[in-house]
Amino acid sequence: MIDNLIISLIAIVGAPIIGGLLFGIDRRITARLQNRFGPPILQPFYDFFKLLGKESIAVNQIQMMYVLSHLFFAIAALLMLVLRQDLLMLMFIFAFSTISLIIGAMSVRSPYSKIGAQREIMQMLAYEPVLLLMVFGVYKVTGSFMIQSILDYPMPLIYSLPLVFFAFLYVLTIKLRKSPFDFSTSHHGHQELIKGLTTEFSGTQLALIELTHWYDLMILLGLIALFFAQPLWVGILIALGAYFLEMVIDNICARVTWPWMIKATWLIGVGTALVNIIGLYLRP
Amino acid sequence: MGLMNTSRMKSPWIIHVNCTACNGCDIEVVAALTPMFDVERFGIVNVGNPKHADVMVVTGCVNPKTARVLKNIYDQMPEPKLVLAIGACGGTGGIFAECYNVLGGPDKVIPVDAYVPGCPPRPEAIIDGAVAALGLFEAKAKAMKEKAKKAAEKAKAEA
Amino acid sequence: MEGYVLALLALATLLPAFCAAICYVIKNRAVRNFVVVVNTLVLFFITWEFVRLLMGSNGSIRINEGSLPAHLGEVIKYLDVLLLGFIGYQGLKLKKPLIVALTLAQLVPVIFFEFFMGVHEPTAAFVIDYLSVVLILLISLVGPIIAIFAIGYMEEHEHHLHLAKTKQPAFFMVIIGFLGAMNALVMTNNLSWMYFFWEVTTLCSFLLIKHDENEISITNAVRALWMNLTGGVAFIAAIIIIYQVKGTLSVEDIAVAPVAGAFTGLFPIALGLLCIAGFTKSAQFPFQSWLLGAMVAPTPVSALLHSSTMVKAGVYLVVRIAPAFIGTILGDMVAIAGAFTFMAASAVAISQSNAKRVLAYSTIANLGLIICCAGIGNYVALAAAILLIVFHGVSKGLLFLCVGTIEQGIGSRNIEDMQGVMKIMPVTTIIMVIGMISMLLPPFGVLITKWLAIEAAVSMPLVLLLIVLGSACTVVFWSKWIGTVLTMSYKPKYAIENIPTSIKAALGILILAVFVVCVGIAPMYNALIDPQLKAFHLTDKIQLIGSQGGLWLTGGSNVAIGGFAVLAVFTIILALFIAIPYYLHKGKSADLRAPYLCGENIDSDLRGAEFMGPGEKPAGTLVRNYYLTGAFGEEKLTHVLNLIAGAIIMLMLGMVIR
Repeated sequence: MIDNLIISLIAIVGAPIIGGLLFGIDRRITARLQNRFGPPILQPFYDFFKLLGKESIAVNQIQMMYVLSHLFFAIAALLMLVLRQDLLMLMFIFAFSTISLIIGAMSVRSPYSKIGAQREIMQMLAYEPVLLLMVFGVYKVTGSFMIQSILDYPMPLIYSLPLVFFAFLYVLTIKLRKSPFDFSTSHHGHQELIKGLTTEFSGTQLALIELTHWYDLMILLGLIALFFAQPLWVGILIALGAYFLEMVIDNICARVTWPWMIKATWLIGVGTALVNIIGLYLRP
Repeated sequence: MGLMNTSRMKSPWIIHVNCTACNGCDIEVVAALTPMFDVERFGIVNVGNPKHADVMVVTGCVNPKTARVLKNIYDQMPEPKLVLAIGACGGTGGIFAECYNVLGGPDKVIPVDAYVPGCPPRPEAIIDGAVAALGLFEAKAKAMKEKAKKAAEKAKAEA
Repeated sequence: MEGYVLALLALATLLPAFCAAICYVIKNRAVRNFVVVVNTLVLFFITWEFVRLLMGSNGSIRINEGSLPAHLGEVIKYLDVLLLGFIGYQGLKLKKPLIVALTLAQLVPVIFFEFFMGVHEPTAAFVIDYLSVVLILLISLVGPIIAIFAIGYMEEHEHHLHLAKTKQPAFFMVIIGFLGAMNALVMTNNLSWMYFFWEVTTLCSFLLIKHDENEISITNAVRALWMNLTGGVAFIAAIIIIYQVKGTLSVEDIAVAPVAGAFTGLFPIALGLLCIAGFTKSAQFPFQSWLLGAMVAPTPVSALLHSSTMVKAGVYLVVRIAPAFIGTILGDMVAIAGAFTFMAASAVAISQSNAKRVLAYSTIANLGLIICCAGIGNYVALAAAILLIVFHGVSKGLLFLCVGTIEQGIGSRNIEDMQGVMKIMPVTTIIMVIGMISMLLPPFGVLITKWLAIEAAVSMPLVLLLIVLGSACTVVFWSKWIGTVLTMSYKPKYAIENIPTSIKAALGILILAVFVVCVGIAPMYNALIDPQLKAFHLTDKIQLIGSQGGLWLTGGSNVAIGGFAVLAVFTIILALFIAIPYYLHKGKSADLRAPYLCGENIDSDLRGAEFMGPGEKPAGTLVRNYYLTGAFGEEKLTHVLNLIAGAIIMLMLGMVIR
């Protein structure tokens, strides 16, 4: 019990720090890939604190509530991860977090944020099946939905689920809203639909959305590490490697349209994951 | 200087408003974002959304039509905010100052904090102006706090 | 003891019928309202008594035929013929040869079977077990609430129609009578009696859909009638086959796990036909169009058909006979058919902008999921099926009532018109949003059952894929609807809308019920559903346990292999959703700005609904949701989906014949 409390506390405090640093490194590496010098590594934290100090403006009274539930459900998903709970439920809670943001963006009458929200919904339509299939593949191998049992499983899951892992990497690009899938909102230096989903969030609200984004990153990297668990440090290294791969993809891809994304994800993502799972059935 | 103030200085997000400029200054502003000059070194990002922006970079002179838009965008930016007027037109209206349809520089409509003269100014000059203007954030933040305090007191008195 | 049970039973079925008759005969509004309320209270009481008696019994309350009034069987036989005759008469009156033909296709076998074959009625005429009680709870709690809602709604509805003579007496008669028939349907153990009540619900739904008597409602009512009559034909055929093979009509004896080698011959076909009957009543693809057409009826009718009665009769039948086909090829095919409907209906729902049609497709999808779970037929799946019957009934009833209320408030049932409805009807909107969230998000029940369904479907990859794709689609149509409804600009103070007391009461009770079933998921599961699953004698290794305020899957040993602490999460969420607005309210009020419109805002307009257009003239901003009609369009998909679904059903019959 006490152990769990301590782990939770470390996760809640540690995850955004590491996540923020990773985003800082991301921006630096991106700059280097573009032959620029780039901002300081701590830049995401400067941005975060600056946003906290801005005047609080809003379009309606309850925007902040959506932002907070966006944040809290991401934290809840992270806690489910570190406390090694049900993987499928984690996915649903994680989805709740995104839906909160979508509803928040739709709650204002801004065309930009509304269209951004619609695109975000399309993203969910694209990646949700892949995430659920991934959970299912994990169950097929370990015989349990509990994350604990993945850690207890004697072999890294990657041996049994290579294609599911590939599909997950594909989805990771969408979830992190990196190019070529950054059409619901975009990152520093890019613009799409003004700022899409986040157009009408400012100051503290935007800071909390950034914070949630750091949590999201840590949850996703944590899930990657799971695929390679045993020993965990290998998993962490691979997760970082995957993140580096995302940065490279981000820099070499142009933005695609969302209909293209849905088609491609259902075809490639769902397809590869399914091939892998059918393979598991055929395996003696 | 405090964490908040350091952060403000190190993360000025800009919105670039073209107020009937001839596009000469705009090209130079955008040039500052390129790898050659790379303003992201200073944490400067062009966000294109007044609600996220800290610094408004305005080019060109103001006419009756753009005045409304400029004022609106300025109002939508949250405090503390800075305005940087670029170029000769940004200062006084430049060669268009005497035109029948020109009101003058942006400072006729909104308070401008720093001017970068030139026709057009070089990117180095624009970056220099932006970095110099950042020093004003501290005073701006103080003013914002005082204003909020006064508003709160007023609300209290009314209640 | 038995006398008391008998009295309760009579009360549960005959009281609604009696009240219905009063409603029709005494055409006084006050009397009618009084009767509806009394009926509601008595039904609540009966439900409570049934639950109490069942808890005290050893698994089921049984009433033998001997203790029933003599000749009841005979009476039902004649009523059966009378009923079919009436339906045939309706067909003749409307000049629909199809209906007459389908009626004859039932009437001839019924007369032949009931009067010339010398059928032995089963000894236990009524068996009320946990599944029945779950259904009774749903029918007798949600149904009467909808009737109460109808008091206020129909007043307004007829006001809009400018009728010379009120048709409410007939309306309330059918609605209340419907509840009695449903109660009897879920309690009886005699398959041929079940068939009679089945046909009564068909007739009731026909009358209700036709209520407005305009061209479109008659067309749709006829469609509903012929589709359900098709199911009736399958039902009577199944009865005859089952009686030939098994020599009994006792549902108890039919719904037992097949002994090895027994699942051959005609019996599986009969089960398949019963499933098809269930499919028609539950509006599964390709029979979905009658339920969509039923939307033309007044909202209480839709709410009733969708939540507690009618469609639930279909899934009840499938779940009831599920033990007989679990683990067989028929079970697999039923699972695939259900999962296909789940996916197809969810996909088509994306393209719908009519709120009631979205709800209808969502109902069809959820019923598909229930049938799919019954087909998968392991411990967890059946638990999910029964839980979903409850959760879906409560939430969907609430949602229909909300949409009906909003429709009367804003004069439209189009989702796009619901932008900013928060401003006009804040209370209804919030209730509706909670209802929608309860259909979509954790920790509410429908998601829990979806979660259970996915965890149960591991043995069948195809079913799993369909469920997974379908559940991604549900996210799309719910979240865009929630977002649209919650669109609002700043308003300093919200005025609570003025709605009739009966509607207020109905919405209040149902929203309470949504929370109660969610919070009480573990006790409810332990008390009502787990014993039923135990009674099914399933041999699965994986079990579902309700403890610590949540549900936990356990493998062979007592180790949890999946689970979710519903109560804990619920408490946290509730605390947050109360604390956050309170805190925000206490904190400084934010400085309000209009949405960004490229600087072209109109100064006085904080909403951002208009911008300065060309020529310095205001122009409106309009953003619509994505409906993806190119990919998920109804016209485009329906034919294809119907073909595939028809093929699956044909395949289902073909497989079992082999």
